[in-house]
Amino acid sequence: MSDEEDRRRFESLALPHVDAAYNLARWLTHNDHDAQDVAQEALVRALRYFGGFRGDSARAWLLQIVRHTCYSWLKDNRPAENISLDDADDAWQDIAAPAIDEPQSLALRKADRLQINAAIAALPVAFREVLVLRELEELSYNDIARIAEIPLGTVMSRLARARGLMREALTMPNTRPQLRTVPKPSQAGKRQ
Amino acid sequence: MKSKIESQRINAFVDGELDLASQLEMEDRMRVDAALREQVEGLRQLRAAVREGADYHAAPAALRERMAGLIAPERPNPARAAVVATAAVQRWLQWRPMAASFALVAVLAVALNLSWLRSTQDQRVLDDVVASHVRSTLGQHLVDVASSDHHTVKPWLSSKLDFSPPVNELPLPGSVFLGGRVDYLDGHPVAALVYRQGQHVVNSFVWPTASKDSAVEFSQERGFQTAHWSHGGMTHWVVSDVNRDEFKSIVGAIQSGDGDR
Repeated sequence: MSDEEDRRRFESLALPHVDAAYNLARWLTHNDHDAQDVAQEALVRALRYFGGFRGDSARAWLLQIVRHTCYSWLKDNRPAENISLDDADDAWQDIAAPAIDEPQSLALRKADRLQINAAIAALPVAFREVLVLRELEELSYNDIARIAEIPLGTVMSRLARARGLMREALTMPNTRPQLRTVPKPSQAGKRQ
Repeated sequence: MKSKIESQRINAFVDGELDLASQLEMEDRMRVDAALREQVEGLRQLRAAVREGADYHAAPAALRERMAGLIAPERPNPARAAVVATAAVQRWLQWRPMAASFALVAVLAVALNLSWLRSTQDQRVLDDVVASHVRSTLGQHLVDVASSDHHTVKPWLSSKLDFSPPVNELPLPGSVFLGGRVDYLDGHPVAALVYRQGQHVVNSFVWPTASKDSAVEFSQERGFQTAHWSHGGMTHWVVSDVNRDEFKSIVGAIQSGDGDR
């Protein structure tokens, strides 16, 4: 029976990517409960359409469905998240042109799990998905373009911007302790 | 506008997503441009921080169970009543699967770490191999000993190296044996055998290894076909820009020659 065959193919090709499916859903919905529901719905859809899958990357195919499901969930439940993105907007310049001479390395190394997770969670959803697909799923630009249904150039611009935002978020808080450790000579003079 | 494109290019460079020519050009520029170097280094650190620091949310067991239930066709289960009756006992024993899962996680963590170490090591060698191939085709230094006769090339290589690599011509149509070269990869002097297949150059690298025999692993790196295997105490890396099918037959020919000798 071809139905049974599809089931078995699905089990061997798509099921190994349940972690990836859940991880993407978890990062896009922000919470475990909704992520499980979205991931499950996506997997059910994937199983339904699996007969037609003839591609080479089951993971990219599955993640594309997960993303679709996430977006319709976001539209219904978090309309505020679904802001439209204009890659050509002017704000880009401010974020994309970081001061090169800033000593970013020191501040970055101190960033801990909480800060990094919070920084990713705070990214607008279109940047977050690209960053998660690239850094956590280690997908190629081509796969990301396919999953997010955007041109390769848009993958590049969103990823560059996502990283720009991450760097801003991760370097800013750490500049404060650096400032605090340097005593002002004028104050020191007054105290004596 | 310019800085936007430039920033994207640097990101793509750090991700290894530029085409080879641009990748090499960027490496050249980095050598002279300190600001660019710093930007690249900053991005690499950010990438490492995110990859190490960010949570990867693996699917919870509940979701996996639900999925397994979806996929397995629904079957009536006569043992259901008995299962319900012993549920209290089972609940009492629930720590067992948990302990088992902790053990599994520990084992997986170690295995993943080991495989990760191995894969970064292999990736480094792979990068070296591809870089050496590219250098050999870009410059004029393709071979040290130009001869299509393995009786000339093998002794020459043996005299320069502390091992004697297997050397053979390939019994393939359109294949020319160009000769051999001594190169330096992965911390050893290695033998590089050079073939021309049609218009394409094939570099076949050989050096001694302590690792066990392994089957051929094919992969693609920056558009080049690569193959890697170990046999009889020698590790082999083959790299070329021919198409995949042709590459497989070349690797097959190199391997069969290796087996004979």
